[in-house]
Order: sequence, then C-alpha cells, then structure tokens
Amino acid sequence: MTGTFLYDTLNVYLLVGLFLLCCGVFGILYRRTLIAMLISIELIMNGAGLNLVAFNRFVSPGGPDGMVFTLFVMGIAAAETAIALAIIILIFRRFKHIEGAGIEEMKE
Amino acid sequence: MNPAEFVFIFMVLMTAAGALITVLSGSVIYAMLGLVTTMFGIAGLYVYLNAPFLAMMQILIYVGAITILIAFAIMLAGPFYKRPREWTTTGKLVASLIVSLFSVSLFFKLLMKTSWGEGKEVFAVTTKEIGRALFDRYALPFELISLLIVVSIIGAIMLALLSKGEK
Repeated sequence: MTGTFLYDTLNVYLLVGLFLLCCGVFGILYRRTLIAMLISIELIMNGAGLNLVAFNRFVSPGGPDGMVFTLFVMGIAAAETAIALAIIILIFRRFKHIEGAGIEEMKE
Repeated sequence: MNPAEFVFIFMVLMTAAGALITVLSGSVIYAMLGLVTTMFGIAGLYVYLNAPFLAMMQILIYVGAITILIAFAIMLAGPFYKRPREWTTTGKLVASLIVSLFSVSLFFKLLMKTSWGEGKEVFAVTTKEIGRALFDRYALPFELISLLIVVSIIGAIMLALLSKGEK
C-alpha cells in the first residue's frame, strides 16, 4: 500500500536493495582479496532478502512466504560462508596470499 | 516529517554508508566493519517492514555468526598491513564502475516502469505464523537446509584436517 510516508512505499525498499546489488557487483569486480569478494557477495544476498521481505509486506500481505524465504537465504549464506572461508584459508596456506588475480594453478 | 520517518531515513543512510565503506575502504577489516553497519541498517528496515523476528535473526546470524567467521578468517590469513592497498589499476576501477552502473541503470528503469500491483489489505503476519509456515508448508526445505548446514560444517572441518595432514 503506497502511503504518504516514506517507509510506506515499496519503491524505497527496492531502491535500497538495488543499491546493495550495485555495491556488491562493484565490489566483486574491484576488490583484490578473496575475503573482500566474499563480503561483497554477502551484500548482494542482503539486498535480495530485503527485496523479498518488501514484496511480502506490500504485494502479498496474506502469508509469511517472503519472510520464510529470507530465513532460508540467511541459512544458506551461513553455510556458504563457512565453506568459502575454509577454502580461502587453504588457499592462504598453499599460496601465502589470498589475492584473486594471483592464483593460477589448482595443484602443484 | 514525523520521528518515525526521520529514523527511517537514518536507517537507509546507514545501510548505504555501510555498503560504500564495504566496497571502497582500503583494508579488509574496515570492509568487514562496513558490512556490520549495513547489517544493522537492514535490521532496522526489517523492523519498518513489520518483521521484528527477521530483524533479530539478521543481527544474530549475520552480525553474530557470519561476521565473526569472516573476522577469524581475516586474522588467520596473515598480516594485511604488509599487503599493497586494495585498489588496483585505474582501468579496473573504470571497468567495474561501468559494469555495475550499467546493470543498475537497467534495473532502475525496470523498477520505475513496473507497477507491482500492491495489495490494499493490512499486513499483519506475526512470528507465530512464520513458525507455522516453517513446520507446515516449508517443512521439507527447512529440514534440507539443516542438512546443508551440517554437511557444510563437516566439509569445512574436513578441509582443515586434510590440509594439516598434507604438511
């Protein structure tokens, strides 16, 4: 329901999600270290979750579907971060750095 | 402008500032702190979207678990003050700017053109209904996600152990 208040309009939330997506894509391309790229992916996931909850609130207020999806996104993000950080630590042990551009071989 | 709207604008600015710090700061630990700022801002936006349970979960899972994990990885991955600064060549900066701004302008145009068919009824979903949906309609995905988390934890432990054995 588009109201008079700023926090009652859907487009504001969608614009915030869009800004997070923009920052995430920029960060993945721009940052050097793998950890910073992972942090940028977290930004994108947060923007997606915000969009889901906003659509649930304004477009289909009947049930909690969007909120449940956002909870699933959080769980999957936790699992993905654990695996990705384990791999990053392994890469650091093998290459002594974690810069994405400097990793050229899978196995020596 | 009433106080609620003022706080809302503050939350939006906090989210945006955190995202900018995350992608533009020179060191990874500042990027992590920017991510924490963004998480708190989004938790505030969830409160405005009538989802206080999600706001709590956002702070617990993202700030409490994922960010701590990232902090430990940063500490384990060596001294960062010896590394060169984060930003690289000007060409890379220009390319990243062009890609992100182009995709965002595309989505922006789409967002402004579309009418989403917003419902008129009042939104009143409580935490009780979220729990009911989790164990009723979404029981199978819920269990599958718990399985996924168990597998990922075992996988992370196995990765750490195997690399220790190699040395």
